[in-house]
Amino acid sequence: MTTQPLAGTSRTSRLRPHAPSRRRPSWAPWWLLSPAGLVMLTVTAAPIVFLIYTSFTDYSQRSLFTGTYHQVGLRQYTALFDDPQFWQALLRSVLFTAAMVAGSIAVGTAVAQLLTRLATAMRLTVTIVLILAWAMPTVASSLVWKWLFQPGYGVVNWLLTQAGVFGDMTNTDWANDPFLAYLSIWLLIVWQAVPFIALTLYAALTQLPLELQEAARLDGAGEFRVWWSVTLPFLRPTLMLVALLSVIWDFNVFNQIWLVSAGGPDSATTTLGIFAYRTAFVAFRIGQGAALSVITTAILVAVTALYIRNLLRSGEDL
Amino acid sequence: MNNRLRRSRAGNPKGGALANAIAVAFCLVWVFPVYWMVNTAFKPRSEAMTSTPLFLPKSPTLSNFDAAINQTTFYRTLWNSLIVVGGTVLLAVVLGMFAAAALSRFRFRGRRAIMVAILIVQMLPGSALLIPTFLVFNRVGLLGTYAGLILAYVAVVLPFSIWVMRGFFIAVPVEIEEAARIDGASTWQILYKILFPLVAPGMVASSIFAFIAAWNDYLVAYTFMKDQDQYTLPVWLASFSTPITGTDFGGQMAGSVIFSLPVVVFFLIIQRKLVSGVSAGAVKG
Repeated sequence: MTTQPLAGTSRTSRLRPHAPSRRRPSWAPWWLLSPAGLVMLTVTAAPIVFLIYTSFTDYSQRSLFTGTYHQVGLRQYTALFDDPQFWQALLRSVLFTAAMVAGSIAVGTAVAQLLTRLATAMRLTVTIVLILAWAMPTVASSLVWKWLFQPGYGVVNWLLTQAGVFGDMTNTDWANDPFLAYLSIWLLIVWQAVPFIALTLYAALTQLPLELQEAARLDGAGEFRVWWSVTLPFLRPTLMLVALLSVIWDFNVFNQIWLVSAGGPDSATTTLGIFAYRTAFVAFRIGQGAALSVITTAILVAVTALYIRNLLRSGEDL
Repeated sequence: MNNRLRRSRAGNPKGGALANAIAVAFCLVWVFPVYWMVNTAFKPRSEAMTSTPLFLPKSPTLSNFDAAINQTTFYRTLWNSLIVVGGTVLLAVVLGMFAAAALSRFRFRGRRAIMVAILIVQMLPGSALLIPTFLVFNRVGLLGTYAGLILAYVAVVLPFSIWVMRGFFIAVPVEIEEAARIDGASTWQILYKILFPLVAPGMVASSIFAFIAAWNDYLVAYTFMKDQDQYTLPVWLASFSTPITGTDFGGQMAGSVIFSLPVVVFFLIIQRKLVSGVSAGAVKG
């Protein structure tokens, strides 16, 4: 392990360039940190502890007014694990997240590649279009989506009917068909996720050393082969980060589902997030909702740990 | 420069006909929802709902914007949004700046642990904080208040604000600081007279990110602000339909345009910072 030559030892005492050397420990950083620290302790750390605590109680709508509730141990969790609705919601979340991440990364990679082949004016146009889609607040984009896919007067149904592939779709009610509801929400998420992915990957692609591609071409590799063997390995770290972030974001999607389909029809688009919200704030079974929230958070923290590890490996200096 | 020249000589020339054709097709598809929102917003009611959609309004009108703004609740809602967003931005930037200074210009025990904690907190799902915050605010009477909503937003925005600002602090060369120290400046003087002015662009960037996060939030406001006069803009917008007339799509699209416009403008301003900023966890889906 420690076969490194001594050259490194002279550096160990040297501080990083952005950190001024400091002989005696100073209280200054703690004073500077304390306001933010205090706020984060009260609005983040304490609530998380309280959430976990609540998940072991039978906190209900009545408790909101009376303040009384009882410890029930693990009962909320065992009730959830016995509830097929929970497993369905979990499965939906996982599959839906996978579909959204796969879709947005595939399109995003293609668009990033496209950007490298465009002259300045066209590249700027595509960038502005991407930013427009990205900048739309999700509430606004969800409402626009409902209008686009409106049965009767929606422009998407009209366009599909004109295309004539699926027959007359004028009155197709997207929000009321399980598959179509998913499809429209999937399109919405992908539409807004592609810009970030495409621009991030494009930024990475501009760093790609061209010598490698040229060498591969000289060796007789075709376009696809060059991409597969040279470009893709170069992009891998960026792709990894983008994929992990997308998983975290897409697993958390709430507004779009809530506003477009409200988790329906029946509970066909009820993902874990929607299920937790319904349990806690519609049915007001708050204890159970808290248990659901703990499970969701645990899953996400696991993914986040992966993300942070990757961030540290990619050279981000903490 | 050099890079670009060489690239154009390499295998894939820029601006080929095929690439341009694909780019045009992509733009048409991707811009369509935005175009349709704007298109509908300028249509009179009779043109919004037609069996053959009109791709341009025949007689463009501002009546939808008028109707949206003249709703009795609009100004109240806008005011609510502005206060809450303003409070969030102020708190997040001031607290974030102090914390970022500590985490970038000083070395001390536990610094790394704090950085990792901030990263984790930043990635927590908003729904994780929703239930406990709701319960606590319900007990202490903060539900339905500006202060409560601001606190809930600061919880989400502050970690990111620290993260962004830290990047700006790191970029300030340490020599400047050392020079000031040699001239006899104290730690506080260095912070106030040298570092804080130098990271002003960082304050702008993190203000914009905080603005966008607070301005866009639907879930927390929807859960905490239950009376109509407590609504913020996104909640107001989502509740645009009335049971009697059904959804007024023209009005709703006009409202969406008004609501989206500041965010789009900010996105275009901070375009360059976006990619690096968001990969640190900025604007959450």
